[in-house]
Amino acid sequence: MRLSDLLLWLFTAAFFVFMLLPILVVVVISFTSAGYAAFPIPGWSLKWFARIFEYQPFIDSLWVSLELAVVSTVGSCVLGIPAALYLARSRSGWATAVTTFLLSPLSMPMIVIGFASLFFLSALGLGVSFLALAIVHTVICLPYVIRTVTAVYRGISPAYEEAAMILGASRFTTFREVTLPLIRPGIAAGCLFSFLTSFDNLPVSYFFGSAQTNTLPVVMLAYMEHQFDPSIAALSTLQLALAVVALVVADRLYGIEKMTVAT
Amino acid sequence: MSLHAFAARHRRSLLLAPALIFLAVFFVMPLFDNSLRSFTAEEGGFTLARYAAFLTDRFYLGVIVETVVLSAAVAAISVVIAYPVAYVLVRKSGRFSGAIIFMLIAPLLTSIIMRTFGWQVLFARRGLVNQWLVQDLGLLDAPLRWLNTPGLAIAALVHVLVPFAVLSIASVLQGVDRRLEEGALMLGASRWRAFREVTLPLTMDGIGTGAILVFMIANGSFVTLVLLGGGFQTLPLLIYQQFNTTRDFALASTMSTILLVIAVGCLWLQLRLVRRQGV
Amino acid sequence: MKLNRRHFLGASAATGLAGLSGLPLRAQANTLNVTAYGGVWEQAIRDCFVAPFEAKTGATATVSLGGPAQWLAQVEANPENPPLDVLIMTPDLAVIAAEGDLMDEFTVEKLPNLADIPQEFTDACLGKGTYFDYGVGGITYNKQYVSEPPKGFAEFVERVSNGEFIASVPSISYGPTPVFFLWAMNNALGGTVDNVDPFFEAMAKMKDNLVFWAGPNDFFNHLASGEADLGIYFDGRTWNHVDEGVNWIDFINPEEGGAMTTVAVQKPKHASDLAWDYINEMLDPANQSKFADILNYGVTNKKVQYSEKLAARVPAMSDALLPPYAEIARVRNGWVDRWNREIGM
Repeated sequence: MRLSDLLLWLFTAAFFVFMLLPILVVVVISFTSAGYAAFPIPGWSLKWFARIFEYQPFIDSLWVSLELAVVSTVGSCVLGIPAALYLARSRSGWATAVTTFLLSPLSMPMIVIGFASLFFLSALGLGVSFLALAIVHTVICLPYVIRTVTAVYRGISPAYEEAAMILGASRFTTFREVTLPLIRPGIAAGCLFSFLTSFDNLPVSYFFGSAQTNTLPVVMLAYMEHQFDPSIAALSTLQLALAVVALVVADRLYGIEKMTVAT
Repeated sequence: MSLHAFAARHRRSLLLAPALIFLAVFFVMPLFDNSLRSFTAEEGGFTLARYAAFLTDRFYLGVIVETVVLSAAVAAISVVIAYPVAYVLVRKSGRFSGAIIFMLIAPLLTSIIMRTFGWQVLFARRGLVNQWLVQDLGLLDAPLRWLNTPGLAIAALVHVLVPFAVLSIASVLQGVDRRLEEGALMLGASRWRAFREVTLPLTMDGIGTGAILVFMIANGSFVTLVLLGGGFQTLPLLIYQQFNTTRDFALASTMSTILLVIAVGCLWLQLRLVRRQGV
Repeated sequence: MKLNRRHFLGASAATGLAGLSGLPLRAQANTLNVTAYGGVWEQAIRDCFVAPFEAKTGATATVSLGGPAQWLAQVEANPENPPLDVLIMTPDLAVIAAEGDLMDEFTVEKLPNLADIPQEFTDACLGKGTYFDYGVGGITYNKQYVSEPPKGFAEFVERVSNGEFIASVPSISYGPTPVFFLWAMNNALGGTVDNVDPFFEAMAKMKDNLVFWAGPNDFFNHLASGEADLGIYFDGRTWNHVDEGVNWIDFINPEEGGAMTTVAVQKPKHASDLAWDYINEMLDPANQSKFADILNYGVTNKKVQYSEKLAARVPAMSDALLPPYAEIARVRNGWVDRWNREIGM
């Protein structure tokens, strides 16, 4: 192995430690036998995982969160991918201005977006509902898809598409057979950002919470404010475990390498 | 320009319409409505008094500077850390790529409050790191203060935001043809030079994307700073305070308008920069 | 046309963006939407209030988990058709909601049990709501590191300033801080609502030995991880930790008197009238004593008899000071601004 490779791997290993150390603490605490969250733990137990399934709001809100993350990710793709395809191929100052506008929801504190949208959507008669929640989540997820797809598409030479068209492919066939496979890493990254942003979001979901529309982060916050037991750590561990399963399944079905790594 | 080309050009711009209309209705209009709170005087009527008061107050000007500097610092650190990791992910990791991706999304899947708890366990006055440094290794005589220091707050922000930078860079790096770099090597360039003169410029778009995303998100985030302190006073933090403690929505709206203007200004500058340097 | 928010929202709704409206957003007439904090709190709400309410009326109640700031915003955004029928509120938000003319008047005709609640609690909500439980803010400490805890605020300030302890105090990002910490300590040190210099002088003296907590768990983490030795916290929450098996934690009600921290209940205007039946259950002495047993907080019905364990823990109403919320509301934002400039966190 070359020295430069060795350094790269060492750096990556250090990065690994930095990323996982605080999370490791959380995972360990989720297996505690104590009635409260503290470290080191006095003994091991699975009771906090059982507690998750006893507490119905955790389960209900988990479904709301999953549905919401899927709906807003799909919504972001439908709205965002066409826009990104357009923006990636134009260089005018106008396009820069439009891109700036489309990305601007990222920098607004979510609490402001949530609060302002609550009043606006309520005036439209949408009030506190799943539809309202899905709309606002799409607002905050859309920029990710636009930005990642734009970046990837701009790096791809138009020659591929031109070649397909010259060979007689229709616009749509060209898109499906040539463009889409080429921009897939950008879509994958955008969907990942979008899904996680929606799933993890608290400040927006908070304003639209009700017995039917509370998301998992809202319920977790409400729970922790008055009962700080290790079941919250167990929930985090469970989410991590689900992510591992999802990644393994994606790998088997699809090949993670194809989504993220040049082949 | 022929009529046909003109029509074709405008048909393409239809691609933009759904996203533009959606954000115009569901992002601009609510915020516009909200911003009216800041322009309306107590007794009704239009006023700019809140903005004048805010922008002539040295304390608040300091807050604005701190907000931008902190976000820029977090963005810069994240991109520098992210590049090598993205490079390993795309070029070297092979079957480990799943593990690296897991590591990147793990922080986002761990409740922010538990994540903060993890930092506290590690870095508290009687926490694991201090115990290790003082008792086990004997390197220090007294425990260090880590929590509520700027360094730890920045580290915690980088921790959750660096994945955005890694994946942005990786997705662009992946489109770069490896043969270009190999070609440069064959022509006698050193590996470092081949990287610097071929690969790095081709991934500028990814670096730009990563920096922009991290900067923007950091600019609007407050939860980490609320929980881990660090002594920073930023606009999002003060805005949160208006919702949580004072319920001064007019002031919150004033600050969010100012924050939006600053963020959009910075974003536009960055995009122009990236476009000029990009391929 | 003069541009203001009402016109803008009205115009937006009218331009047919509201093709979406008219969806069945409200549940059926026989359902009541009530509110609760999460976890053990929610369980107590369901067992102590929802169950008897459902048994008596035959109606059903859905419980929305969350916090007062969220609920009040939802009612403000939909004043004609509030998505919630009963609100759990902090005392200062209760005053704001009452002043904003968003809540209904509480009377003994609608709520027979209101007769047994001290009148001052209903007055504190400007007649549009009342308190149903209370605790006190004081000094919580780690017995492993603090053998002789300070007895009051003055001693707390002195010993923390001397560097004897690292103290964890609430940050200004936590909603109740201006009252249960700033006002209470200032009051104990001889200040008034119009003069908070004693508080800020004390904070300046202590500043090198302070850490700040942003939420209740944060405080517990500071104590559990050894970041701080003691701090300002609530009695009921301390006892909850003791009951969870935390054997190193204890609480002192400061000798000058800690601030009474209460939970108010209110009914939004235009909310379902079933809310009165539900609120009456919340004020019922039997239901309240059951609630107190679960949560370790005092309750407000004068007929309540506490269990032995609780009697030792719950401070008498006379041992806690009821903060003048309406008066504080006038000057609070000035306090917060001063805190930002002088203390920061």
